[in-house]
Amino acid sequence: MKTLATLIRRELQEHKVGFIYAPFIVTCVLSLMIISVYFGLTDIQTPEFSLTTEIYEDEQALEWMATADSNQITSVIRSGLVVLALPIILTVAIAILAFSLSTFADERKDRTLIFWRSLPVSDLTTVMSKILLITLILPLIVLPNIILLHLISLLSASIFFATNDIVPFGWIWNAYSFTDWFRIIFILWTQSLWSLPLVAWLMFAGAFAKRPIMGALVPIAVVVVLEGVILKTNYVLAFIEDRLGFWTSGLPEQNEDLRVVDVSDIYLMFLTQDFWIGITLSALLIGGIVYFRSKNNDYSSE
Amino acid sequence: MEREFAVKAKGVIKSYDNSRALDGIDLEVRSGQVLGLIGPNGAGKSTFLQAVLGLLNTEGELEVLGLDPRKERHKLLQKVCSITDVAVLPKWMTVEQVLQYVDGVHPRFNLEKARSILSLTDIKNHSKIKTLSRGLVVQLHLSIVMAIDAELLVLDEPTLGLDLVYRKEFYSQLIEDYYDGNKTILISTHQVEEIEGVLSEAIFMNQGRIVMKDSIEAINERFLELRPNQDSLERARSLNPIHVRKELGREVFLFEDIEIDKLSGLGEVRPPVIADLFMAIMERTKLEGQQ
Repeated sequence: MKTLATLIRRELQEHKVGFIYAPFIVTCVLSLMIISVYFGLTDIQTPEFSLTTEIYEDEQALEWMATADSNQITSVIRSGLVVLALPIILTVAIAILAFSLSTFADERKDRTLIFWRSLPVSDLTTVMSKILLITLILPLIVLPNIILLHLISLLSASIFFATNDIVPFGWIWNAYSFTDWFRIIFILWTQSLWSLPLVAWLMFAGAFAKRPIMGALVPIAVVVVLEGVILKTNYVLAFIEDRLGFWTSGLPEQNEDLRVVDVSDIYLMFLTQDFWIGITLSALLIGGIVYFRSKNNDYSSE
Repeated sequence: MEREFAVKAKGVIKSYDNSRALDGIDLEVRSGQVLGLIGPNGAGKSTFLQAVLGLLNTEGELEVLGLDPRKERHKLLQKVCSITDVAVLPKWMTVEQVLQYVDGVHPRFNLEKARSILSLTDIKNHSKIKTLSRGLVVQLHLSIVMAIDAELLVLDEPTLGLDLVYRKEFYSQLIEDYYDGNKTILISTHQVEEIEGVLSEAIFMNQGRIVMKDSIEAINERFLELRPNQDSLERARSLNPIHVRKELGREVFLFEDIEIDKLSGLGEVRPPVIADLFMAIMERTKLEGQQ
């Protein structure tokens, strides 16, 4: 356990910019934007997204706010907060993809691999430390950022509502469930398991290919083209698209209407065949990574 | 229970396509020895050390500290340390981070000892490794290794690229502060003259084979070098030296298994330095190969 914790700490030290600083900076920028909007300094309006206080000038919106029940308010707040937190999750997702592609390639390239392998740490332990970092630890690191963003958003909105006599200060806080923090972490954990085959594939490419980007893309491109030409299907591409997206797309059809999932809904994912196909594929790729890492002994010329 | 042999190899072969990097290595290294592997590029020194560290699959029998390095590498690395010329400490880390890392993964690492060794050097704990000179990085690596209570230390060209001062310091620190008579050390290097004083045994390797293996004591008894007086040249030649070389215009004769009394009246007699002996043995091996 001490070894695993040390390995994970090492990864965080090495990749602190992508995994710690970047999401925190994005959180700060988003928080500043939200504060600016609620304090009337700016409005954000794009075709895809708008963050503005103009909606509170609309009579219908004000009436809904005055009459909505607690469940309705909770649902709207949750949806809004999910959208707000997306840039943070996206930032970490990009950092994870870059990390996955480079982690085994870089240690080989800069020859630190020889130092790491001179210590009593098995290849399996090293690989698993990286997988655990991504699936278990990073969601825990992302969570405080999301919580901070939530609290700043809700506090800004509450002050705005109270000072403009729209609704009382406690209107939001009564509807906001602090147990959501647990919900979020379970959702992030499930998401990381859902996307694990992609992460494992990128790591695998980094472990076996001299040029990891080519190693990751070329075999996939070949398989996609061959599948399209020979079988006239596109399962591989659909699989990749699915795993790049949210895990809720993998839920059984009758649950597709679940907009905001609860912890209790996560077990539905564990009952799906797709989920276990992804886990099995990831396990095979992890085995491949361990194999290739153990074979990387590029020492002196003798 | 003390182990008699740190390394036991029998018929160890490593093949690459059409060539053999190791061609049937038979070797027993007693615990507590400081063994030098000496040979030209391509002799198989590094390959053998990699096999000892369990980094290569080889044919034949190989046992290191009673373990099979190929199957029990993880267990073996708890008892074995290594420094190789190609091993690079991670540049992004600080010295303290490396120490903390090794402390976290190595059950036999003594963090306080490492800090105490480093406190005697110019290396600062908060320094990033990328800011250290190559000499200091090697010194840091050695300090880490010295703080590990290992039974076997494998050094593969550890001082390559270092200037003379660092090379001297490296070996003097290794022997004075690290070697306690119980630890076994395997060293491969091109700079034979620098390790000569620290070795208890030497192995000469060429083309994947061991061409000679003996203790330094036995080598000094078995081989003698004669710088004959001008009038004793013919007499010296008649005693069948195994090798003759020129040094500052004078001929120097190397003899094997000869009584010192036969040479003492002919000129200056002394044991050969390992580098000269190595050259002589290699030439003899080459000639034998041609015949």
